[in-house]
Amino acid sequence: MKSAFNRCILALAAIAVVAGAGQASAQSKLKSYQSGTKEFWTHPPDDWFLGDETEAQKGLAPPSGPPTGSSDAELAALIKKIKLPEGFKIEVYASGVLAARQMAWGDKGTLFVGSFGLGNVYAITDNGGKKEVKTILKGLNMPTGLAYRDGALYVIAVNKLIKYENAEANLANLGEGKVVYDDMPSYAAHGWKYLAADKDGWFYVPFGPPFNVGIPPTSVSQIRRVDPKTGNAELVALGVRNSVGGDVDPRTGKYWFTENARDWMSDDIPSDKLNMISKMGEHFGYPYCHQGDTPDPKFAMGHKCSEFTPPVLNLGAHVAPLGMKFYTGSQFPASYKNNILIAEHGSWNRHKYQGARIVRVIVDPDGKNAKQEVFASGWIEGDQGYLGRPDDIILDKDGSILVADDWAGAIYRISYKK
Amino acid sequence: MMRRRWILPALCGIVLGLTAHAAGAADPAAIKEKAEQCSGCHGENGISQTENIPSLAGQPDQFIQWQLVFFRSGARKNELMQPIVEQITNEDIRNLGAYFAALTPPKVSKPDDNPDLSQKGAQAAVGRRCNSCHTDTFAGTKAVARIAGQREEYLVKALHDYKSGVRSGGAGAAMTDVAYPLSDEEITALAHYLAHL
Repeated sequence: MKSAFNRCILALAAIAVVAGAGQASAQSKLKSYQSGTKEFWTHPPDDWFLGDETEAQKGLAPPSGPPTGSSDAELAALIKKIKLPEGFKIEVYASGVLAARQMAWGDKGTLFVGSFGLGNVYAITDNGGKKEVKTILKGLNMPTGLAYRDGALYVIAVNKLIKYENAEANLANLGEGKVVYDDMPSYAAHGWKYLAADKDGWFYVPFGPPFNVGIPPTSVSQIRRVDPKTGNAELVALGVRNSVGGDVDPRTGKYWFTENARDWMSDDIPSDKLNMISKMGEHFGYPYCHQGDTPDPKFAMGHKCSEFTPPVLNLGAHVAPLGMKFYTGSQFPASYKNNILIAEHGSWNRHKYQGARIVRVIVDPDGKNAKQEVFASGWIEGDQGYLGRPDDIILDKDGSILVADDWAGAIYRISYKK
Repeated sequence: MMRRRWILPALCGIVLGLTAHAAGAADPAAIKEKAEQCSGCHGENGISQTENIPSLAGQPDQFIQWQLVFFRSGARKNELMQPIVEQITNEDIRNLGAYFAALTPPKVSKPDDNPDLSQKGAQAAVGRRCNSCHTDTFAGTKAVARIAGQREEYLVKALHDYKSGVRSGGAGAAMTDVAYPLSDEEITALAHYLAHL
């Protein structure tokens, strides 16, 4: 249990420490780790993500956000800075949702929200127009992903998919829950996950590699489709680095997902990706080939990019695309129907941050004619500063969207009015 | 105004209270009142006179905030702190971070009674690269604690807690790795050196 706790807070704590180190670490020699060992996967150093440091990118490290998120006054000032297309409006839906990650709706209108290193799961309920944020689960191991199906809340905490029956009626005491799938490694690095249900009630679950780049353990760098009823699972995609977002296409039933590319190559390559799984077992290139056209300098090992499924769209380097949703509502202009909205968390391994915005991708059902445009931006301040970091999107009943932000610890609502 | 009280065990031996209402705009008098409730254990002006209780004066704002957030979420475990912070609001945490960060850090009043030990500690600090996170003056920064001038026996306790894995919250993950290979002699020397800075 203790080691689980250590792992649980590892990411957050390490990021805090590294961010605190700042200048001092820039003076020391380049970080280098031998990440291709089981010992590294199970006991990564706290700054495992710095292991492939280069002279050009030296000193870059994930920034540490405000421990208590943004105050209501700070949020009020922040949303004035967010740029949106004509007719759209952003407001604060809830604050004090520290480290907020994936969101899911309960049947009775409870908004469930996962979190990162804090280990909390929240329930946001409406009390006469005022949103109340309750911490309903504590001490889980990076419970970033969650879903709600048939009255049950499902939370994925690295190597456990936990089911909480009749969750909305038991917000005050969810109990221990029941582990319905645990055939997953406990590796902390890129071990945090996302859940997307298909029409059969199976979950698409991403498995990231336990390092920046290398030959991954065979149990990860993949996407599985998991049946929470039986605990059966199938492998649907290989060669995937760190994916923390995806959605099922309402037009075709196919699974689309975002993918964060490797770090430490440069500010501008490789690009993060939007992918689509056309057939079972496709390989998306990692670690051999990045962004569909760039062999890895060390791990290509003779492979050509033409061997792998290319991305639907390259989204940009270090934009960090996370949660995504097809827009199936009817509030936004008709041209948004079935477009993809992606929450980009933004850079750390880049001298001038980019991302930290919401992009809109317009694309045919077969993945052709993809193009992107910026939908919402303004969360970056200066070259390496954040006011907030969007990480997930969910549609509300009225067709507006909610956006989770783990830096500000807030949920925003974006709506449209002609 | 609702006021909660907890009676704490023998270590402090006094009654502490923290108001649990949602704080409005920062009111300096109210913050001071709240922070004074910490002084029973952590000392007047954030300078601890109590064994195994750290001084908080001059700790970085973010470090204080993280520790309170970790205590509240249970990620850092301490039976004294947990009940006190259970109901604390984000506003309280921000205010307490700012309050303690603004206090004058502890000054060493006693002369170093064992300069040889300090010398060993200084060498260990260089060898373990403590300054790469805690800064060259060991005053800490952002989420990293001030360790210069901290109580000597508390530094020993904290390093032992990290070494044995008892302490896992806050920057625990980083410190656990650093403290694991430390010998008892090194811990003693480091604590003596840092406490007398």
